[in-house]
Amino acid sequence: MSLKRILVVAGELILLLLVFLVIFGPMMSLFIWSVAIRWYWPSTLPQEVGFDYWRQALGLQKSLAIGAVSIVPAFFLSLSIAIVVVCIAMLIAIPAGYALAKYRIPFAALIMFLFLMPNAFPQQPIFVNLLRIFTRVGLAGTLPGVILVHILVGMVFGVWITSATFRAIPPHLEEAARSVGAGKTRAFFRITMPLAAPGLLASAVFVFITSLDEFTGTFFIGLPWINTLPMTLYSSSGYNMQFASVIAIILLIPSILFMALIQRVLRAEYVGGMG
Amino acid sequence: MLLMYAYPFVSSFTRSFVGSEGNLTLQNYAKTWDLYLKDVAFTFSVTVFSTSVTAALAVLLAMYLRFRQSVISRMLVGLYKLPIFIPFVVVAQMMNTFLAPHGLLNLALAQIGLINIDKPLELFNFWGLSFGFVWKMVPFSVLIIHGGFQMIDNSYIEAARSAGASRAKVITRILIPMSKSSIMVALVLVYSQIVGTFTLPYMLIGGKIPTTITVDIAHRVNYFRDFGVANTLGVFSYLLVLATAIYYLRSSVKRVAEAEPSRR
Repeated sequence: MSLKRILVVAGELILLLLVFLVIFGPMMSLFIWSVAIRWYWPSTLPQEVGFDYWRQALGLQKSLAIGAVSIVPAFFLSLSIAIVVVCIAMLIAIPAGYALAKYRIPFAALIMFLFLMPNAFPQQPIFVNLLRIFTRVGLAGTLPGVILVHILVGMVFGVWITSATFRAIPPHLEEAARSVGAGKTRAFFRITMPLAAPGLLASAVFVFITSLDEFTGTFFIGLPWINTLPMTLYSSSGYNMQFASVIAIILLIPSILFMALIQRVLRAEYVGGMG
Repeated sequence: MLLMYAYPFVSSFTRSFVGSEGNLTLQNYAKTWDLYLKDVAFTFSVTVFSTSVTAALAVLLAMYLRFRQSVISRMLVGLYKLPIFIPFVVVAQMMNTFLAPHGLLNLALAQIGLINIDKPLELFNFWGLSFGFVWKMVPFSVLIIHGGFQMIDNSYIEAARSAGASRAKVITRILIPMSKSSIMVALVLVYSQIVGTFTLPYMLIGGKIPTTITVDIAHRVNYFRDFGVANTLGVFSYLLVLATAIYYLRSSVKRVAEAEPSRR
């Protein structure tokens, strides 16, 4: 019995170690590259480490190396795009999600279908045709064009999470408020909104992260003028591994923070419903 | 949504029949067939392989997490979700450094004597790409499948156990059949996401032959401004996901219809 227990625990430890190595191996590799100043093959670890590339990326130190530009402008560009996208997308997603969850609206099935399609089919052909259309109307390679694409990509998740959130709130709560004399608007803002707040926040953060990390749409619509953070990462990965790794880590941080933030509200149903 | 999504979607079909002079033609299909058939097959095989590996690993991990309550399993619950929100660009850069001939994986394997460092594993191909996909997709699948397992009440399992069913029987007769829908949803989403992923193959394999459909589309658009062939390739990628898309849309619409609010 006790031998069996020891074997089980040993097995579990090996599993833990394996999962740990597989998950953190690639991340470690990213980190080592970001601090590698001199790394000649076949040395296992870099011969010289330091934060030079970090300083260059953050614009604290000038560099003449190829592919090394300050990423500060790209960072602020990505940030402002993401903020605008969240505001517009949530202004649409909250009423849309509420309507889909609580009312029978005409063409509801069609709307649902439309919002499910991006999960079922590859999105790249959409971007290709948007590029064609945007080129005709003069939106290709412009900031509004990129923002529109980000809204398109983020909205799908936004609407799914908000409608799932509103659906999870029992209707009798709002009805109870109405029956003691609260108006429709008052009931919505005093009862439904506070209850829905965590879900709505999760949805907003999700849209934010989606916009921050968006690559494919920006690649087609934004090139060559709109250099968001992921685009900078891509263009430097060709010739400057260290630099690209620094940007990758900077992009990694919001994702992990987000993970920690919505850990509590993250339920499989959300991801299942939206993903 | 109609303008931004449905119209481009439909026009990816119609445009695939339009030639370079604006005429109606099948020449895009002939060209795609000649140039890119190999890449369509490559995309399909990478997708099927990665999805199968992901499914097997995810079901096993979810089973472990469902049955075992220990300090270690709780640590794993905290750990495994990490890759879910890491964007594909970052995953691509990670794999770029990790899987390179002089990358950390090869150095580590050489260090423990599994390979000779003068002949490193060449991984910017089918295997590396699949590794990247599995790395990113297993956590997502475990989240959905484990969620499905959690919804099965313990009393079913206890009842079966006390009636003499072995653990294997509980798994094959209760756990898996009862969470079939969440397993299928996970699989379908993983499959169609892999077919449509552009970043990882673009940064890992790029223009090498064979590569994926998504990379070919980007090349067609960026180097040749050839929307006809790009859209034809898009139609091919739609065809690859046709079965899973129909399954997903049907089951989701059914699920939504069940949750439909009644008129008040």
